[in-house]
Amino acid sequence: MGQLFAVEIIYRGVFQKTLAKNITRGIVLAAHNEGKLGISFGRYGDAPERNGIPAKSFAIIANDEQTLEAGMAQYEPKHVDLTVVLDDTLCKGAESWAWYGLQPVHHALKSGHTLIVVSLQDAPTLLKTIHRREEPYKLGILKGVTSFSGMWVYKDDHTDVRVLGAIAKALPELVSLKSVEKFITEKLKNSLKVTSTQTAYQRFTAVDVKPGKGNPEELFNFELLPWENMRNGVSIPGQPQGGPYADPVTKQTGGFRPARNELFKKYSTRTQRPVVNFSTCTKCTLCWLDCPDASFDVTPDGTYDANLEACCGCGICEAVCPVKDCVTMVNESLFHDNDSQWVRYKKDPHTYLKWLEKTIEMAEPDEKRSHGFRYRGQYQEQLPEALEVARKG
Amino acid sequence: MCHATHDLKAGKENIMSTTFVDEKPTQNLEAFKGVKKVPHEEYYTSGHRTCQACESAQIMKLMAKAAGPRTIVLGATGCMYVANTSYYSTPWGVPWMHTQLGSAGSGALGVAAALRVQMRKGAMKDEPINVIAFCGDGGGADMGLNAISATLTHPDYNLLILMYDNESYANTDIQISGTSPYGANTSFSTPGKVKRIMHHRWKKNVAPLMIAGHPTCKYVGTISTSYPLQAMNNIRKALSIGGPTFIHCLNPCPKGWDFDPVLSFELGELAVNTGIWPLYEVENGNLHLYGKTKDIANGRFKRLPVRDYLLKQGRFAHFVEDDIEYFQSKIDEMWTKWLVPGVIPLQKEVEADDPPAR
Repeated sequence: MGQLFAVEIIYRGVFQKTLAKNITRGIVLAAHNEGKLGISFGRYGDAPERNGIPAKSFAIIANDEQTLEAGMAQYEPKHVDLTVVLDDTLCKGAESWAWYGLQPVHHALKSGHTLIVVSLQDAPTLLKTIHRREEPYKLGILKGVTSFSGMWVYKDDHTDVRVLGAIAKALPELVSLKSVEKFITEKLKNSLKVTSTQTAYQRFTAVDVKPGKGNPEELFNFELLPWENMRNGVSIPGQPQGGPYADPVTKQTGGFRPARNELFKKYSTRTQRPVVNFSTCTKCTLCWLDCPDASFDVTPDGTYDANLEACCGCGICEAVCPVKDCVTMVNESLFHDNDSQWVRYKKDPHTYLKWLEKTIEMAEPDEKRSHGFRYRGQYQEQLPEALEVARKG
Repeated sequence: MCHATHDLKAGKENIMSTTFVDEKPTQNLEAFKGVKKVPHEEYYTSGHRTCQACESAQIMKLMAKAAGPRTIVLGATGCMYVANTSYYSTPWGVPWMHTQLGSAGSGALGVAAALRVQMRKGAMKDEPINVIAFCGDGGGADMGLNAISATLTHPDYNLLILMYDNESYANTDIQISGTSPYGANTSFSTPGKVKRIMHHRWKKNVAPLMIAGHPTCKYVGTISTSYPLQAMNNIRKALSIGGPTFIHCLNPCPKGWDFDPVLSFELGELAVNTGIWPLYEVENGNLHLYGKTKDIANGRFKRLPVRDYLLKQGRFAHFVEDDIEYFQSKIDEMWTKWLVPGVIPLQKEVEADDPPAR
């Protein structure tokens, strides 16, 4: 048996589908230049892909055909030599379908190997969200604006080739910078992209993460029922009806909190979250009524509290809210919990509103963080900024 | 079943009733009088694996809320089946069952008939129960059209077929369906360098198909998720009126239409305001336009240019000026030349159709 490499790309479903495909395809074609064989594929369990929901794409590379076949025989690689995370908010963990539970991003990464994250943040900040693990690994950050586009129109901001450059640096045994350059020159025929990949290669560094370092949070998990314990036929229990709940201060009950699906939560889909100013809320009901995920709890006060276990961060609530600055979408990476904002507000309104103001202020530079196509010409407008970051590394 | 019975002893036929339709009472679901009167209870709650800002999930939530607890829902294969049945879990709070892709109509009819038999036999309490079949445009406008048509001719059974329309086979990654709009980029119509427009068919006008073809059907209508209160009240009306009913709902799809999820709601409004998606209902044969559509028809509101709607979606990013103009001219035709503007496409004079790309 020859040598077998597996690379895992964790990305935002649909938003980064083309990007992830371009990267895994690039790895295989660059490896061809070294006489290696390979295959790139998306995780079957992620199809049909939904936008925002964490998904995975793989590249498997081998020195000879027999080894490649052995690697391909697996449903998905159990252990990978390199993990790439294309959006830093994914560092909170990936829950793809209900049966996986929430998995840390380095779930499949071999001991001592490198985790690459595309981010504008630094390693200590990211380690507040990346879960701790027992084996050591390396954390490398590829400085870059998160690249989001959609199903049909691709934002070609060089993220694909920059990731390839970082991969060549992190795992030269897999593919060398020379092979990547050759692939870009011959297949993509773009000399600017060759420069981008070289810059990424030169600037990319990784730090050692010692065992036990990182986010101590317990991962959301549940017991998978074996088939003999399931109900007869193919029936499953439905959701119970929710009900009123108590005000943390006055202890009076009121409002309404719907029951929540305990086996599938949606917060790992979120790249931004709504923050609510309860003091300006006019109780117009629109955020609650227009939320496709029924994620708003009706508080005993009659205001609406985004339940952050259920919210997937689409931003409709902000779009329909008639009050200026009542619901604001803020970059998810600023937060480290899913606690109720309303409870915090009730306990100490003054501190909460101060915090709210500060949070929105901090998040403002991220307003440009778009989630796909809004109008024609938008990607072209965003390109110079992304390329500037790429140039500076 | 009919009310004609034979009095054998008397040796003569006795017609008990002049109607041959065996109607059963429905739940009397009155309209919600304002957003503040909408009940808090959710029968389709969180924890489904749909896209961010999925308007199809939104109409499912509104439908369940409008119908209330005594409801059975059937889901034909599609996005809203697959996304709601991940491992041993569901967001449903009312009974829901999967039915095959083309069988929304027959599934609903079968369930309504089975309920009637169970109640007649005394196997379950005799009470009106809402039966709703929820199908997509692929399941409803394409594959299930014959079963829906057959079902709408059965006046004895109370049921609603709600077709959510995201204008493609979205679950399997966006293939063309009968309701995909002209020119849209899909997995089957990727624009190329030689041929820009790969989809030349015009969107199927489904609700009028049901109206014209099924004169005994008491309620057919169109709704939009961007007008949630109106949508819920129309669903309640369709469930209360009795017999088989049909509603067609347009649902902006951030994945397949390729737009930032934050625009979902706005695109639903734009579809109405540009005149692409007319809102109307036909109740016992009477057509009522409602909302902005009514204002457009009355001349109180000027239709917005279709350009505003098209340029916000990645699936139309390959359109050149000619394509936008052609699209606009087809919408103008709907409103200026059709026998019933926006609804019935009969015309006195039909001009030659000349799209800019072949």
